Amino acid sequence: MVEAPVEDKRITLKEAAKLIPDGAHLFWGGFGFQRPPMAFAHELVRQKKRNLTIYTCGSEMDIDILAGAYVVSHFELAFFAIEGIGLAPNIQRRIREGAVQIEDYTNLAMALRFLGGALGVPFMPLKSMLGTDLLAKSRFRAKKAEVITCPFTGEKVVLVPSVRPDFSIVHVSRVDREGNAQIDGIKGEDVEGARAGKKVIVLAEEIVDTEFIRSQPDQTVIPNIYVNYVVECPWGAYPMMVYNYYDYDMEHVRMYYQQCKTEEGWQKYCEEYITGVEDHVEFLTKIGMERLLKLRAKKPFPY
Amino acid sequence: MGKKDYAKPGEFTTLELMAVCGARAIKNGEVVFVGTGLPMIAAMLAKRTHAPKAKIVYEAGFIDSNAIDIALSIADSRLGYRASAAIGLIETLGLLLQGGHVDVGFVGAAQIDEYGNINTTYIGDFEHPTVRLPGSGGGNDIVSSAKRVVIIMTHEKRKMVKKLDYLTSPGHLDGPGARERVGLLGSGPSLVVTNFCQMDFDPETKRIRLASVHPGVTLQEIMENTGFDLLIPENVPTTEPPTYEELAILRAIDPHGIYIPRPEQSK
Repeated sequence: MVEAPVEDKRITLKEAAKLIPDGAHLFWGGFGFQRPPMAFAHELVRQKKRNLTIYTCGSEMDIDILAGAYVVSHFELAFFAIEGIGLAPNIQRRIREGAVQIEDYTNLAMALRFLGGALGVPFMPLKSMLGTDLLAKSRFRAKKAEVITCPFTGEKVVLVPSVRPDFSIVHVSRVDREGNAQIDGIKGEDVEGARAGKKVIVLAEEIVDTEFIRSQPDQTVIPNIYVNYVVECPWGAYPMMVYNYYDYDMEHVRMYYQQCKTEEGWQKYCEEYITGVEDHVEFLTKIGMERLLKLRAKKPFPY
Repeated sequence: MGKKDYAKPGEFTTLELMAVCGARAIKNGEVVFVGTGLPMIAAMLAKRTHAPKAKIVYEAGFIDSNAIDIALSIADSRLGYRASAAIGLIETLGLLLQGGHVDVGFVGAAQIDEYGNINTTYIGDFEHPTVRLPGSGGGNDIVSSAKRVVIIMTHEKRKMVKKLDYLTSPGHLDGPGARERVGLLGSGPSLVVTNFCQMDFDPETKRIRLASVHPGVTLQEIMENTGFDLLIPENVPTTEPPTYEELAILRAIDPHGIYIPRPEQSK
């Protein structure tokens, strides 16, 4: 028996960010403090991308950085903040300047919009948003949602438009070089979001041999068929967390929050940790091995 | 003093009392949908006291969580400790919640009105807001579809308002029958816990009604800090204080005072 050669979809973080043209629409993976594509956000800032639209459920410091650096102009989302600390400081400022606009949905609505995109249907029904300003008010979408009477039962249902972004960006636990991805812990909306994009970039804490994936195929949540590019990106969610890999660095997050309350403070942070370093490895070097190792998950705890 | 005896004024803080009120709203065996902060502490307390069979669900995907450390994020890996499953949002908010399996959901609010409608999105005018708040997250989904909803918030005049700046999550909308009319599945808010009192909803008018006043708080204080007309029944009981057992467990749950600063740690 002759085995087919394993297709190699690996590219570098820099190459991956180069694929994104100005004005592109992205599904943005991770949920809350869990697995945000932080390293990818940094690289988009370094490459001075502009006018992106991001679709996500709930994201935090990662999208605050993208708004701060004027990379993203439009968000369609359900939630943003620096949880447990306060409001996202840069987004707050950019909204006031008129540089960022937000179209509000709920978490379920956004997750279903990704599922709809992935399923190839134009909208999805749900029972949230009814009777509220989430239905009554829209920021920039010509049509945000629609209430219909179900043709079968006569009950009221909300329809939300499906999303097919140009790219889906997800940061996962492990992937093989042909793009079979496994996610430990919660998946948030990444399973649907990864399938919604026209092109899919999977960043991962580690690249494993395809034999490892194929010895436990039940753990694979994004099969290679959906995936176009694979990026090895250890500590790619730092200073946020990756289940079974590392905890968040709250000291760094608090420093970010405090500093970014002013525009000058944000500029200083951006220069010091993002634009002032060559790449992700130099960023990690700046953070320091000692600090990173302290955050490593201590089994059987996933943090 | 026995474990089941009530603590005396001065032996507990207001936040501790609020967490205990939240915990007591959970019945044994119920499926409970919570966020981080006080609701998480309340659910953990309920599970360790009168409701060991309660199942705690976090919207990020952790189901029947048995966390032993305090989480800062709804997606915090800490919530995965001895959970029965770690799935995702379609599972928790879609299949579990909208599917009708969630008995009680806990939410916070920046503003509520007299029907328990909730704002977590904008302060100020929609066209020119003064503050952009975090938004719905799963809040609207929870308040739309959980069988009952408990709101935990601080009691201030600017938060208990006649008219919301933005209606994020549906309380009883404009009164009796409104939720059914617009097609909502759940029966909406049933309890509001604040630093002054507990409030429920009058079954006839669906308006917020005073249910119990925390020890040491006066009716005057409550009225001065409420921006809408609060229904006040003739006899309003005092909120049952925490028991010594509840306080001991509560302090063990959050030993570093992340969400509930210890009495000696607060002013």
